[in-house]
Amino acid sequence: MRLGEALRIAGQSRGERQKLIHLLCGFTPLHLATFIKAYLSLRFPNDSIRVGTGLYGDLEGNIQQAANSNAEGAIAVLEWADLDPRLGWRNASGWNRQTLADVEAQIQEKCRRLEAQLSALSQRMPVAVIGPTLPLPPLSHLPPAQTSALELQWNATLSDFLERVGRQKGIKLLSAAALAMRSAPSLRHDLEMDLQAGFPYTLAHADAMAQLSTSCLFAASPKKGLITDLDQTLWRGILGDVGSEGVSWSLEAKSHGHALYQQMLASLAESGALIAIASKNDAGLVEAALRRPDLLIRPEQIFPVEAGWGAKSDSVTRILKAWNIAADSVVFVDDSPMELAEVSEKQPGIECLRYPSSAEGLALLLWQLRERFGKADIVEEDRLRLNSLRAAAQIESDLPKQASADFLARLQAKVTLENVSADHARAFELVNKTNQFNLNGVRYTEAEWKARASRPGAFLTTVSYEDRFGPLGRIAVLGGCVDEDRCFVDVWVMSCRAFSRHIEFQTLRQLFKKSRASAVRFDFRPTERNGPLQTFLGQFFPAECLSSATIELSLARFEQSCPTLFHEVIE
Amino acid sequence: MTDKIAEQLARCFSLAFPQMDPSRYSTASAENTTEWDSVAQVTLLSLIGEEFGVEINFEEFEGATSFEALAGRIREISARA
Repeated sequence: MRLGEALRIAGQSRGERQKLIHLLCGFTPLHLATFIKAYLSLRFPNDSIRVGTGLYGDLEGNIQQAANSNAEGAIAVLEWADLDPRLGWRNASGWNRQTLADVEAQIQEKCRRLEAQLSALSQRMPVAVIGPTLPLPPLSHLPPAQTSALELQWNATLSDFLERVGRQKGIKLLSAAALAMRSAPSLRHDLEMDLQAGFPYTLAHADAMAQLSTSCLFAASPKKGLITDLDQTLWRGILGDVGSEGVSWSLEAKSHGHALYQQMLASLAESGALIAIASKNDAGLVEAALRRPDLLIRPEQIFPVEAGWGAKSDSVTRILKAWNIAADSVVFVDDSPMELAEVSEKQPGIECLRYPSSAEGLALLLWQLRERFGKADIVEEDRLRLNSLRAAAQIESDLPKQASADFLARLQAKVTLENVSADHARAFELVNKTNQFNLNGVRYTEAEWKARASRPGAFLTTVSYEDRFGPLGRIAVLGGCVDEDRCFVDVWVMSCRAFSRHIEFQTLRQLFKKSRASAVRFDFRPTERNGPLQTFLGQFFPAECLSSATIELSLARFEQSCPTLFHEVIE
Repeated sequence: MTDKIAEQLARCFSLAFPQMDPSRYSTASAENTTEWDSVAQVTLLSLIGEEFGVEINFEEFEGATSFEALAGRIREISARA
């Protein structure tokens, strides 16, 4: 993004809701603040973005000031000059040996203080931290090609500090490697601007920092599933021509790129992404090839496998149905532009990525997949998701669409309700990614989420489920406020994997029981995608009531429509 | 050539001073424009660097705190290139 474009976008940020983000640095924030505002305006088009900045040369003071504000996040940028001013270009107190020998102690002390301050700040809001991005000045007596022991020592102290800071909940460290891919180290420093205006970066570097730091601070929701083609994609070769032993993915066969791709899919599966296959192939041959012991993704990590001769888009549609997720949460990878176009036409929301023919293209694809599926936390439910989908498919194939009371009674179902804090990663993840059974579709930033939890009488409950087919893990979140005998619910989501088990009824029954409320008010909003929630509420309310923002359900009305429940409830 | 420079410089002004009426650009200066402070001056120079594809040397723009003066310096740089 060019500065002119950033100014134009930032100038148009006029949403109804104010969103304050701090840029914490010791230099003049200038264009970096502009780029950050522009990227945040694109990310949150309905908000009015304000980037708060502080005083020149006072990084610590600026952090303290931010910690006392009601901001929704902060980006802290540390350059060497913030750790010791003598390491900056605007300082001329000498590069003699005596001065330099003293720098290490100063860096240690500064890191110790910054760690405490950043830790305190992260209790209040999410923080993205960027370690030094500019090289040290030529202060050593050695020729530039040789690293000095002092520089190594400073880097070690800095690495220790960043490692400790990065472990803290609420702090995200910007990847130096990702920044280097977008901004070459030799093209980052603008010495003229640094000396004249106290702003040390070239425009291109400021742009890269802003783009990465804002996406690090407010990561987009990860994609949920990946559908892959087989021939010339998961492996090299045409299965129908060369057979299951003829397809390859190895250095020896000069097809190692496919091994890397398989390795990536296995890694994504391990972190909870759903992986499926859509291939125009003979189903028997596919089954044989997937049984090869040298395949780098295990067959049990793939579900479902759609192999046949019909249109790819039909296979993709069946996979989406088995997963019960929307197309816009899914990536489809194929080597054929024609297949990609056909799928894209039938499922416009799906993101189609072409498996490339070059090694360079493959590296780009692997980074793109990490970008689409990357997530901060991997939780138990990520491990359980695939098995529960398989079980659901099994149940669906064995039974009529609407499970009978007799069947539900034999499930040996257990529902566990647990009160959790706003720090609970799974609760936050579920609320921000669930679409179908979602009370109002509201998405929260970490700061908003923490703020709602600090309201008087606030509660947040997770619901876990297991039955004789296995555990589903934590599949629902309910949150709101209780004030004496009145109960207000503004968060209620349930994973689509848990439908048809009457968990939603049991959740409400337990809410009435625990809150002792005679009625529960819901902050309900119909959305384009929360049809299942609307259907559920439709059992209690006539359709015309479901357009209003707040609806109230009495205990009597609930019990009147609640079916017989067979769950064992654990609290 | 001159008109083109003025046109490009006007684009920089529209971004640095979004509230300013375009009819005022040609007579605008730091003296008669409240929002023209040191930050606005650096922003203007950076926009000029982008717009004209030149590396900004602050010394060359020393004292250039009006539309007319900025256009004059750009003309000098263009003539040298």
